[in-house]
Amino acid sequence: MHDTLYPPRACNPETAGNPFRSSLLSTVKRPLLSTIRSNIRKRWQAWINRRIPVDDRRRFDRHSIFILPTAAGLVFGLLLVVMLLTGINYQNSLIYLLTFLLGALFVAAMHQTHNNLNGLELTLLQPGEGFAGEPIPFRFVLQAPHDATAIELGEETGGAVTLSVSGHDRVEGTLQVASRERGYLRPQRLRVETRFPFGLLMAWSWLCPVTPALVYPKPVVPPRAPEGSVEAGDTEAVSVSQGQDQVELRPWREGDLSARIDWKRYSRNGEMAVADWQGEQGSPQWLDFDGFPGVDHELRLSYLAALVLDRERTGEPWGLRLPGITIEPDLGNLHTRQCLRTLATWQRSAPGEGVQ
Amino acid sequence: MSLKPSLLPTRALLWLLCGFLLLLLPQWDRLPVWLAAACIALAGWRWLAQTGRARLPGRWLRLAIMGTLIAVYIATVSGRFSVDTAASFFVLAVGLKWLETANRRDFFVLFFILVYLATVNFLFRQDIGWSLVTLAGVVVTLVALQLLHTPADSRHSSFHGLRRLGGMLLKTLPVVIALFVFFPRMAPLWSVPLVSDQARTGLSDSMTPGDISSLAQSSERAFRVTFAGETPEHRDRYWRGLILDRFDGRTWSQWQQEPYRPLGRVNRDAGLEALADNEYDVLMEASGQRWVYALDNSRPVSANITEVSGRVFRLERPADTSVRYRMELERETGTAGELSPAERRQYLQLPPQGNQRSRQLARDLAMGAGTDLAFANAVLNRFREQPYYYTLRPPAMPDDPVDTLLFDAQRGFCAHYASAMTFLLRAADIPARVVAGYQGGSPGPDEAYLIIRQYDAHAWVEAWIEERGWVRFDPTAAIAPQRIESGLRDAVAEEGSFLEDSWASPQRYGDLPLVQWASLQLDRINYNWQRWVIGYQGQSQMDLMSRLPGNIGLRELGYLTAGLMGVALLVAALVAAIRHGGAARTDPAGVLVSRWTRLLQKRGSTVPAGATPLELARMTEQQAPAAAAVARAFARDLNNHYYGSGSRSRPGRGSHRSTELRLMRRRLARIRRELRKRSTVHGPAQHPS
Repeated sequence: MHDTLYPPRACNPETAGNPFRSSLLSTVKRPLLSTIRSNIRKRWQAWINRRIPVDDRRRFDRHSIFILPTAAGLVFGLLLVVMLLTGINYQNSLIYLLTFLLGALFVAAMHQTHNNLNGLELTLLQPGEGFAGEPIPFRFVLQAPHDATAIELGEETGGAVTLSVSGHDRVEGTLQVASRERGYLRPQRLRVETRFPFGLLMAWSWLCPVTPALVYPKPVVPPRAPEGSVEAGDTEAVSVSQGQDQVELRPWREGDLSARIDWKRYSRNGEMAVADWQGEQGSPQWLDFDGFPGVDHELRLSYLAALVLDRERTGEPWGLRLPGITIEPDLGNLHTRQCLRTLATWQRSAPGEGVQ
Repeated sequence: MSLKPSLLPTRALLWLLCGFLLLLLPQWDRLPVWLAAACIALAGWRWLAQTGRARLPGRWLRLAIMGTLIAVYIATVSGRFSVDTAASFFVLAVGLKWLETANRRDFFVLFFILVYLATVNFLFRQDIGWSLVTLAGVVVTLVALQLLHTPADSRHSSFHGLRRLGGMLLKTLPVVIALFVFFPRMAPLWSVPLVSDQARTGLSDSMTPGDISSLAQSSERAFRVTFAGETPEHRDRYWRGLILDRFDGRTWSQWQQEPYRPLGRVNRDAGLEALADNEYDVLMEASGQRWVYALDNSRPVSANITEVSGRVFRLERPADTSVRYRMELERETGTAGELSPAERRQYLQLPPQGNQRSRQLARDLAMGAGTDLAFANAVLNRFREQPYYYTLRPPAMPDDPVDTLLFDAQRGFCAHYASAMTFLLRAADIPARVVAGYQGGSPGPDEAYLIIRQYDAHAWVEAWIEERGWVRFDPTAAIAPQRIESGLRDAVAEEGSFLEDSWASPQRYGDLPLVQWASLQLDRINYNWQRWVIGYQGQSQMDLMSRLPGNIGLRELGYLTAGLMGVALLVAALVAAIRHGGAARTDPAGVLVSRWTRLLQKRGSTVPAGATPLELARMTEQQAPAAAAVARAFARDLNNHYYGSGSRSRPGRGSHRSTELRLMRRRLARIRRELRKRSTVHGPAQHPS
């Protein structure tokens, strides 16, 4: 209800992918034509963008559903013309009748196809997370006031998922969106299309989701151990820390890992102290952005991602240090997730923030 | 490399196969047996491949099959080209396409071909039964196309597809009927080849009395006649078609070959105007021939037939579909005219040799008879008095057939006796000719029309009698009067040879009233179908339109059709808007907001998308300070409505909601009044700063 009251932001014309890249005119070199073309395209984009608001939830109505015959539909139209000519030239009433019947059916199919999409509500439930280069799952839910058959949800170019829903029901579907680089992944426009019932016509609209998915850097195993970051191997973290003079001890706080507690000190005087490596450079527990001098920033992030995964596998605690961001050493699922997310979003701003 | 058959849904393919077989059915008697068998085999192969019991052929095998079948086709067609052979090739192409149907694109190609195959079927078969079969084939094909685009689960069964399609067809039916009635039936744009050049059952342009007549064994319809006035008696119903005036000793044929005329575009139809009292209307089945049948003293009324010499009539082009034409009966003129010497020679022509005994008989009879008329009557008397028999099982007469018939066998049917009598007349120097056509006909349902069937085919004699002109003599009437009085069935009742080979014909069981009744009712349905659906063409349309007010020509019909389509589309759009608009308008407060926004925009404010109610109130205040209070109140209402303590989910608050809405509407009305007052004082689009 609210979205009718406060229409959200529209798709950004600059960032939105253009689905109507005409190859027909692309060979024409004349600047005037190309100006007109880009002008038309810009207007068309602007027109679409007015109609397709950016939102995770969208209800398709007749203002935003587009319908055109498919290639098969065009051939069908041609066939009808040929049939009509045959009917005229042979003065054959039955051929007239068949032509009119199929023609009327084509128009009826237009309504069917349009209605199949009309009134549907598509909601992005949850964008997934994953590593760059992998498909990222986006979970959607489709709700319909009537039976809707074979609704295809997909990117303009790329994978798609086909959903069917019966009246007043909801159905969930997961769309795998290809990811190329780390950061926020927001498909500019997802195409919601149906060709039901005959495939002669297609009705479509777009969904411009707001909530982006997170794409972690693609893990790349560093060629050698980073400077100052010694592979721990079998040696325990604590024993490594014992060799360090600069270990700062601080009182135990709830939530500290038991592995970090200085048990020797505890046995000596019963004081629970935790070894704190804050501010310390080159510690083996630290995965440090600066540990790969001279390496491209993105590649450094990839190295770090691989190291994070490696640490998680071996089950030893680690901390992550990026310029401006520091994550305390820790272990566990949540910690891994947090580190990876930080790697994904470091120096990236969420899309749409600049659009307002 | 072999194709993977599994890409297509099995259900869809199965329905498409069924559609193909249904569409093949109406062509069963036209297609060569090998072609039909090959098509079924190829389609079956595709099915086996789909179900995994066979593999589709690889590229080379496919090419080999294609080459073989096309070679066989070329060999059988041997250079003849007609729509018939083209259609056969079309069927062959469909059959071959089955082996290549692997993906959706191929499926679509097959669908298109099948739809056109249905079109071709209508060229060959137009009676109601076969038309329904063809339409059923199209429906099945459409279901197949639907199944291609539906997920394969229980909620989307083939039955659902069929029901949906039925609903769509039902909804579009009024439009289809309107289009059918009003779409302007233009004249053909160019001349088209004949649908079929194959011989059909019916009269031929020559008659060899020694041959066994196959027509007498056929109960197919030749034509149907509706009389405006009284139907003539059975014995007077001689339907003249052809004049056979050239005899070579065995065979009668036409002296003049059918004159070559460029093929007319199509046979025009005879229109629907009410028949005048002396008119009759003939609905002739497709005969593949140009000639038409008419009673004595008939004159053409409809423009699609013309008279040729000998008072017989011809169509514009061979009747490759059923044709309707109109004739008018004139009173006998009595003016005989003269036979030109050339005509006289033509009608006296006999081969120089053969049938010597008959020539002698003619001389003997001529001696006794004084006049030509007396001679003709003497011949008839001889037939009547001597033991001549009417039979459908005459002996073969290879040599001197006239002699054999008259003196030895004395058994034959109409063709034999007509041939013999014409021979005798000519031998006696009386111009004479054989007339081929039909005689009699049986009443249709409720005696609304006459049905003339192939077994009513008949041959008789016309002789030139001075001062009377051409006079009809029927030797068969002298030998078997029942044939003329009541038809072939009674004439050969004793012999039991009536339709002895066609056990499936309902006419054979004429003594069973139920069979007769059913067959007549069927005939009535077919008659109306042919007359009103198939026969609804240019002239019929014009006649029908002339009954409507206004002078409706083809162009007006075009406008009318376009208008009708526009109205139909509009109605459909409106229905859709009402049905789906209900869902969009479920938020009445939202409607109020957009109305408010429009009001402000009309006064010149630029309202950003997504402005809150309070922002709107501020804008209203700027425009009309007097409305400030009410606008703020309205904004508060809206905020309460959307974000208030929530009456939305609580039941039993419906009445409260409606009063709330009423209040909001009143407030909006006040805002509008204030804004309007403002604009009349200061003019529109003024922003007080």
